[in-house]
Amino acid sequence: MPKLRRFQAIDAIEEIIGRCVEMGAPAWYLMDTVNMTSPSVLAPTVAAFQILAYTARTAARLGAKFFVPVTQGLAYSIANDIVEEAYRAEGVIEDFDPLGTVVYLPDGSDRMYIINNMWSQKVAGVFFLGSWYHKAVIFTENAARVGALTLGGTDTTHNIPFLVAICDYSIIGEELYALGAFVSEDPTQTASLAGQDIGKYIALALILVGSLLATFGIDISGVFLW
Amino acid sequence: MSERMYKVQIPIYLTALLGILMIVEHFFPMPVVVTGFNTTIRSFVTVVSAAALMLGVCFLTISHVRTISQQKSQWYYSIFFIISLAITTGLGLMSVRNESFLWIYSNMTASIGAALYSLTAFYITSAAYRVFRARNWSAGVLLFTAFVVLMMLIPIGAIIFPPVVTIGEWLRSFPSSAGFRGMIMGTSLGVMGLTVRVFSGRQKEHLGLREERTGDQ
Repeated sequence: MPKLRRFQAIDAIEEIIGRCVEMGAPAWYLMDTVNMTSPSVLAPTVAAFQILAYTARTAARLGAKFFVPVTQGLAYSIANDIVEEAYRAEGVIEDFDPLGTVVYLPDGSDRMYIINNMWSQKVAGVFFLGSWYHKAVIFTENAARVGALTLGGTDTTHNIPFLVAICDYSIIGEELYALGAFVSEDPTQTASLAGQDIGKYIALALILVGSLLATFGIDISGVFLW
Repeated sequence: MSERMYKVQIPIYLTALLGILMIVEHFFPMPVVVTGFNTTIRSFVTVVSAAALMLGVCFLTISHVRTISQQKSQWYYSIFFIISLAITTGLGLMSVRNESFLWIYSNMTASIGAALYSLTAFYITSAAYRVFRARNWSAGVLLFTAFVVLMMLIPIGAIIFPPVVTIGEWLRSFPSSAGFRGMIMGTSLGVMGLTVRVFSGRQKEHLGLREERTGDQ
């Protein structure tokens, strides 16, 4: 089994949920754009679902009030199933509210609902994971003002700076995909993370070779034109 | 059929089979049978999404009805929701080209959406204040580079200090682009890794399952 550094986010999840339990305030799990028919959104959404399973189970185990608003029907069904399964696995299915734990919010109306309820419920912990766009700034800034402890992570490059800057803890780029595998503690999944690193070395080598070829004016593009 | 079969194994096999078909179609020329099948499957996604949307709307409505009947905090907003839903759905069912339906979209939904979107500008301002505080060396570098790029973008910056344009362009073209490209490559590899784990059935939390590890794993 390859040796991996421990993700700070794992401890952050426990800390955020624990803080919510201590304060008697809810923990929120937000995923922003979850349009699963869009390929660029699908991957981070699936990654966010993997982390949702772990987070929901932690919330169920520690007895935190957990809330997951979702803005797309298909993603809502999946998220609902994940959270319900987490509560069932922890033996506290009676704490799962089918109408109130995972909620469908039509896209567009979610902004005011979330901002308003963040303040009225005095939310103590918020997770911002998945594919984040302009709402990243609005929601994270509100959560910071409310005083919530936050964990943010997205692969949307232009929004990573905002999540990193505003959130207390952050997951950058590919860590979003690695976290689900890391929490599984399954050797095969962990090995796939090591495989990704090998992929990075190969990419680096190819960049180096390409740079040298370009520097010396050698064009090998004809090789790839079948 | 066991519960595990239809809740775990069949979804994993279907995900892998259909996913691989889509990927292969993207990279290689495929027979019309395969491309036609893939097109049909993609249209299934739209149908399933619409069904799931109905499920979401039904649960949301039930939730609001419960809020009204139990007179929870701010229950009167739920009445607005139900009235709005009834009017919009009624008009939409008559015709999505109905003048009243289009009026609601153009003059209410779209304009409220635009107004909420404009909030981003104000939050970015306060977020910028939170970010651009030179708390440590890294934050100081961020503050300096952001200041240079902002000066480059505003007209008065070039008048006060002309080299700021060259420096700002260099920052955006080289260190910033290089960082982002590295991140995009890492993310792409992460997506590939996730795809392999999902297709092989190793990672199945998205199915609502988080099975305990057994001793032999």
